[in-house]
Amino acid sequence: MVKVAIYPPNSLILADLIERKGHTPLALQKQIRQKIKDPEIDSPPMNITEEDPINGLKYAAIEVPSGVRGRMSIIGPLIDAAEAAIIVDGAPFGFGCVGCARTNELSIFCLRKKDIPVLEVVYPDDEDGTRLMVNQIMDFLDSLPGGGGDLEGDSDVLGEPIANKGGK
Amino acid sequence: MPANLCITPDLGKEDMDPEVSTRMIILSSKANVSESEVVNFLHMLNLPITIKWTCYGAMISGKDEYVREAIRELRKLDPYGIFTKERGFAPGDPRRCRGHRYGPREGFHQMEKEFKILDYVGEALKNPREVEIEKKEPVSVDYFKEILEEEENKKEDDK
Repeated sequence: MVKVAIYPPNSLILADLIERKGHTPLALQKQIRQKIKDPEIDSPPMNITEEDPINGLKYAAIEVPSGVRGRMSIIGPLIDAAEAAIIVDGAPFGFGCVGCARTNELSIFCLRKKDIPVLEVVYPDDEDGTRLMVNQIMDFLDSLPGGGGDLEGDSDVLGEPIANKGGK
Repeated sequence: MPANLCITPDLGKEDMDPEVSTRMIILSSKANVSESEVVNFLHMLNLPITIKWTCYGAMISGKDEYVREAIRELRKLDPYGIFTKERGFAPGDPRRCRGHRYGPREGFHQMEKEFKILDYVGEALKNPREVEIEKKEPVSVDYFKEILEEEENKKEDDK
């Protein structure tokens, strides 16, 4: 089982396909969940604390706007944990959750620079394009070690049924 | 209700539990099941999870193991029409839920874009086949010159 970084980091299609093949998608939602559950954050609606731009210095220089560094403090650990990556290129404006073009560029640069297998697919807008994208992603996931889930998601990353582990 | 984009949520015990996870269940438009069937099926599983019926399918929240069990069982209904993904905020969280604030929910636009091609993804998973797409290339300079010369010759002939 391989931890696969995805870009955009909240993509439904990419995360679902990766889980179906038995790998773990590194989705942004888990990071956000940690943020909103952190009891040390005084004002829960404000998800970014003053510590985050400081943590972001690991990924971007001090001259880089604090918005980019704050975002990188959340996306950066996902990039660090990545053992493979799937990036969608040529997506329409507004696709993705990051809301910052420079953070997108920096994150994709970090993924490309990292010595891991990276698949770059083109955002599809018709049936043939989608088939091509799905085929490419499936071939890529098959080439990664571990996994072994089937397309129907029966034996995917969701693991063994609870009943087999000794009841609910 | 006045617009309040920065509501301080009244988080319960479950909201702060690190073992609790939330998943969105999104149906493609060609799915063989409806949102109500999905919700009924989830209720019939009798698992200790919170189930919310939504316009795109459903949202479930609870202990990670039960959520995974529910997803595993639910996928058997229509493996190629049901898609799931993790969600950071719990169902009905006032910081995201539209019942408490104005404007589209964060993540709506992304889901709208992906929903448009979800049918094709399901079809590609169900009946995989090789496809080739011809890349559109720009007109070559030589061909462009050829057309220009032809047009110029035509004009000269007309004179």
